[in-house]
Amino acid sequence: MIKLNNITKYYPSKLGNQYIFKDLSFEIPSGHNIAILGSNGAGKSTLFRLLAGSEYPNKGSVETDLNLSWPVALTTGIHGQMTGSENARFIGMINGVADLNLYEKRVRTFAQLGAKFDLPVNTYSSGMKPRLAFACSMGIDFDVYLIDEVTSVGDAKFRQKTKQALTAKSNNANVIMISHEMDELRHFCDSAIVLHKGQLTFYNDLEQGIKHYQAL
Amino acid sequence: MTQIIKRNNWAIWRDVIFALFVREIRTGFNDKFGLAWSIVNPVAFIFILSYMRGRMDGGETHTVPTFVFMMYGMLLIQFFLEVMSGVSGSINKNKPLFAFRQVQPISSMLAVSLFQTLVKLFVFVVILVIMYFLKMEVVIADPIRLMINFFLVGLLGFSLGGMFAIAICFVPEFKKIQSMLTRPLFFISAVFFSLQDIPAEHRYLFDWNPILHAIELSRYAAYPSYGSVGVSESYLIESTIVLTFFSLACYYSFWKQAISR
Repeated sequence: MIKLNNITKYYPSKLGNQYIFKDLSFEIPSGHNIAILGSNGAGKSTLFRLLAGSEYPNKGSVETDLNLSWPVALTTGIHGQMTGSENARFIGMINGVADLNLYEKRVRTFAQLGAKFDLPVNTYSSGMKPRLAFACSMGIDFDVYLIDEVTSVGDAKFRQKTKQALTAKSNNANVIMISHEMDELRHFCDSAIVLHKGQLTFYNDLEQGIKHYQAL
Repeated sequence: MTQIIKRNNWAIWRDVIFALFVREIRTGFNDKFGLAWSIVNPVAFIFILSYMRGRMDGGETHTVPTFVFMMYGMLLIQFFLEVMSGVSGSINKNKPLFAFRQVQPISSMLAVSLFQTLVKLFVFVVILVIMYFLKMEVVIADPIRLMINFFLVGLLGFSLGGMFAIAICFVPEFKKIQSMLTRPLFFISAVFFSLQDIPAEHRYLFDWNPILHAIELSRYAAYPSYGSVGVSESYLIESTIVLTFFSLACYYSFWKQAISR
């Protein structure tokens, strides 16, 4: 369970503070694979960053006893001048992976970048970087994976692999996912949270959530 | 299955700082010269300038060989400036990495400082070796005092850099103010002259500057005959402690908001 206590979050701008959340309290239940639905700019990525502790709310707090991943977005924490394997080791080291060599090997197998894994990330195609980022997160055992539109860039084969990996982990891990492709979400999730005007609503059934979201 | 070690906070800090440190080495230098450039560049700069100046007056400045006199001045001011600019730029540079909640801004600030400290220590050693081969006299009368001064200069750079780093997150214009403020430091910190050259009644124009104290005291530590006219170790230590305290206090109160904008 992830608890949001009276969260207020805004970003300062020329037009005054842009509020994303105002005094929001919410509980995200555990044991579900949750799709986050919301229009552009509704605050989905901000919500992720708050959950993961990448950013802090202006007021209030986020409480959880779960081990959450970092928000796995397209190229989080990936440095262009470092090779794929160096990036993987860096991420492993930061997250306290016990056996870095083993971890690197796992990422190498999962990402399937071939020889490119040992070349600087700058040389990767736009579809390959997210694969690396995603493989890095899959290589570590988290309770909850926060995935921000990463899976949608992979090719069919990679998606299949992603699905398998997440299914294999589904006994002891869950995923919270942002995507604008409903097929993608139906593939991975069973319930939904609709984010609208700074308010969250939980739907136990994904289809119900999608219906409400599309009706907005 | 990948095993995650349960680490206490210190272990997390240590791992993160080490990871950032390696990353700093790996990505700071992107061309063929690589890491060597960070050593060669200051060594060449310090060496050529000191050597030319030494040739010009052909000998000693207040009993210290002019080459050594210049070398300490430039080494310490460069150390200060580079730690400061490195630290103040580190938050912005590593912003994407704060997505990992284990990575806090102060880790990247410490990693940069550590890196610069090692680079400058190495530069110092290289210069000493070159001096040895050129058959110049290598004298360091009080190495411990010298090391303490070196450390204090680093800490000063870290503190001031840290304050600017936080300020820049809120008001980016501080970056410009910082470069404007640091530019004259090269000329007012007794790099090219000694405080002894300044008439006593005008020393107040210069002796507020702790870096000047550190440079003069380092020369004094290497050559006791140089003397420590108008400077004091306790002023250096006290001003460093005050600035460090203030800087850490700023950091503690504002870091979360600084990376959440």
